[in-house]
Amino acid sequence: MQAAFTRGAPQQAAPMTTPFLVAHDIAKAFGGAQALKGVSLDIAPGEIHGLVGANGAGKSTFIRILAGLNHPDAGRIEIDGQSREIATPQRATELGMSFIHQELAFVPGMTVLQNIMLGVPKKSRFGLTDWRAIARDVAPIARRVGISAPLNASVKGLSTAEIWLINICRALVRKARLIVMDEPTASLAASEAERLFAIVRDLSASGVAVLYISHRLDEILNLCSRVSVFRDGRSVAELAGKELNRPALVEAIVGGAIRNPQRTVAARPRGNVVMEASKLTRAPKVRGVSLRLHAGEVLGIGGLVGAGRTELARLLFGADRPDSGEMRLAGRSYQPASPAAAVRAGLGLIPEERRAEALFLSKSIAFNLSIANLDKLVHGRYLPLMNRRARASMAGDMIRSLSIKARNASTPVGRLSGGNQQKVAIGRWLQRTPKVLILDEPTRGVDIGARGEIHRLIRQQADSGMAVLVISSEPDELPDLCDRVLVMAEGRIVRELTGQAVSRKAIVEASYVDPQALMEDHPA
Amino acid sequence: MSDVAISARRLSPGTKAVLGIFARYGTIIGLLAMIVTFSILSPQAFPTVNNFTNVLNQASLAMIIAGGLTLAVVVGELDLSIGFAASLHGILITGLVVHDKLPIPLAVVIVIALGAVIGLVNGFIVTKIKVNSVIATLGVGTILTGLAFAYSAGVPIVAGVPEAFLQLSLGRWLFGIPNNIIVMILVLGGLWLLVERTPLGQEIQAVGGNAVAARLAGVNVDRIKILGFVISGMCAALTGILLASRLGSGTASAADSYLLTAFAAVFLGSATLRDGEFHVLGTLVGALIIAFGFNGLNIFGAPTFSQYVLQGAILIIAVGMASLGRSLAER
Repeated sequence: MQAAFTRGAPQQAAPMTTPFLVAHDIAKAFGGAQALKGVSLDIAPGEIHGLVGANGAGKSTFIRILAGLNHPDAGRIEIDGQSREIATPQRATELGMSFIHQELAFVPGMTVLQNIMLGVPKKSRFGLTDWRAIARDVAPIARRVGISAPLNASVKGLSTAEIWLINICRALVRKARLIVMDEPTASLAASEAERLFAIVRDLSASGVAVLYISHRLDEILNLCSRVSVFRDGRSVAELAGKELNRPALVEAIVGGAIRNPQRTVAARPRGNVVMEASKLTRAPKVRGVSLRLHAGEVLGIGGLVGAGRTELARLLFGADRPDSGEMRLAGRSYQPASPAAAVRAGLGLIPEERRAEALFLSKSIAFNLSIANLDKLVHGRYLPLMNRRARASMAGDMIRSLSIKARNASTPVGRLSGGNQQKVAIGRWLQRTPKVLILDEPTRGVDIGARGEIHRLIRQQADSGMAVLVISSEPDELPDLCDRVLVMAEGRIVRELTGQAVSRKAIVEASYVDPQALMEDHPA
Repeated sequence: MSDVAISARRLSPGTKAVLGIFARYGTIIGLLAMIVTFSILSPQAFPTVNNFTNVLNQASLAMIIAGGLTLAVVVGELDLSIGFAASLHGILITGLVVHDKLPIPLAVVIVIALGAVIGLVNGFIVTKIKVNSVIATLGVGTILTGLAFAYSAGVPIVAGVPEAFLQLSLGRWLFGIPNNIIVMILVLGGLWLLVERTPLGQEIQAVGGNAVAARLAGVNVDRIKILGFVISGMCAALTGILLASRLGSGTASAADSYLLTAFAAVFLGSATLRDGEFHVLGTLVGALIIAFGFNGLNIFGAPTFSQYVLQGAILIIAVGMASLGRSLAER
């Protein structure tokens, strides 16, 4: 369209004007957890500013503060040189900021125009919304961002890229001066992504600043003139010009200064292959994953949030069906039609969302522990009633052996702390002694003490011959726990780490591997 | 509301305990208070063995259909087809016995089997076609009403009902206990045993408590939900049969109003003993409250409309009190 669309047009370093946004030493704690310990960044008008950091570095919290969804405990935000308080999302909009989240905001039943105007004050005539006048105003903006569908068409059936354009258009109708984009290319095809980059550059040329958040470092390098790096709640680096390159970014994200503690996990002999997956695919999240899980090992799956790890676990557990690929369990073909079939075959899953997906919060500990073991808790084959004494003694044993802190087995699980809830979720499977136990984020929201106990528990199971698969986004968890770690990125396994090679640094580094590039290096 | 919420912050532990007790035992306290009040106000007519038997006898049909509905709501669905289904079942059994001269036991088996099939259809539509259960069962119920009219051609079947059929509901058995009460006790006892004491019952409770977690714990959620609908359908059939026997006729809309009574009993029951969970024992208490309330009003000669007002008001007050008491006690 315009000259600015040509790729690689050199971006002028921001002239010495007042920055549009300055954030200074922003801190924010949730409960006891310090999500932001002090981050600062500034964005000039028309600048494309990159923001990168590992899981939990504080990017989301920072954005939520800009959007008026959370309020900082300390620090200062300036817009156009004036100190501002962003009390509400409305205020953020008034100040000229628009946010395009990963989950795009749109209403499927509405037209393109209605979606563009979602939440935007509308012109009216005689008390009725004057859609004709609105369409006249919006049409040039829609043309500029390249919305090809007619404004009065339904958004049903439009691609993700087109919905994204609608979101951009909405930001422009609101006269946004800064558009914050969170992982904009996460669900786009390569060609669509190219178009998106062109639009981002066009926005920049017309003076709209963009805060571009992405795990894809190549995009960041391609688009951004300056990049801020967050790590552990602090802004640790701001790279521009010659300093802005891939190794420098990775170094800043990982934190080169962190010494790798000697691994405490001793190398142990591992048993036979219990579970095997080959070229397992379920578009778009899992793409051709092959792995082998041995008896007696703890295998970790690392990677960024959204890399497809939870989706992989659901395939292994029969909660979803793969599009293609094969699985084998104990040497036999394994095609679970449902979680029930997976449980019968000898699997157990402790899902990521403990309260929503694992527990019956209003029910007792005994109920929660016994639900996957009902066949073992009846009086007998000819008296198919629950043996309440057997159930109570099983629950009592479990409470003692896992040191679950509760008054007794009839305490509702909803009253327990996160760590004790997680022990109940794990305990449910232990009585079955499954062949394969899958734990998705086993220590999220769990206090330090319980975390150690849960780790010991996981190791114990592996020592007794169980094959254990652990998914974790916490960089320190996998090195503590696992014999071997596979790192996933964008639905693919991009690296295998074993023995002393398993480290926080190696996992984070591998998380940023571009799987596309990897495939080109090693054509299959 | 906001006043309540503000003052609740300063509740003493003792007050909280009392509120907690009220949330759980409020309906039972209400039931006992009602019985005591009526007994004092009408010592001759109300507190007699005869009257109590009578109340139970009258209420048994509602208790059976409400017991079935409890299974549907325990698995997290609603079954609005039960009243219409019971009407169809009533007219069908009268037709089978009077016109087709089928032996009564065979006719009963056929009708209960039909009830199971209706439940199967409801369950299939809800779990496999994934239609919201309110819509699915309302649709099925409406179709059943149409079938009832088609079967009877709009005319009630009254003539030629054999005495043996009337005795199904009017008869008495052990120690002169009315059959209705015996059937009710067997049905509710069986349902209680199923839900509370069998492994299947644990799965039923799990599905109602958190269907996602139940699935990931290896429970076949769809099968459990279908089972809930099937039991609900079979209980509706039983109520339809007993009602036709009691009335001595088959009418196309005779049992429609049982839908509302059953819902009232089930939701009153959810406010009993357990925190907002549906369960068979609670449903029994709920049905008793409604039955004794009606009985008391009858004894005092209150006009018919007041019964509807009472039923609606009791339901809202009881469930409201329980939920308010619970939320205050949990602060």
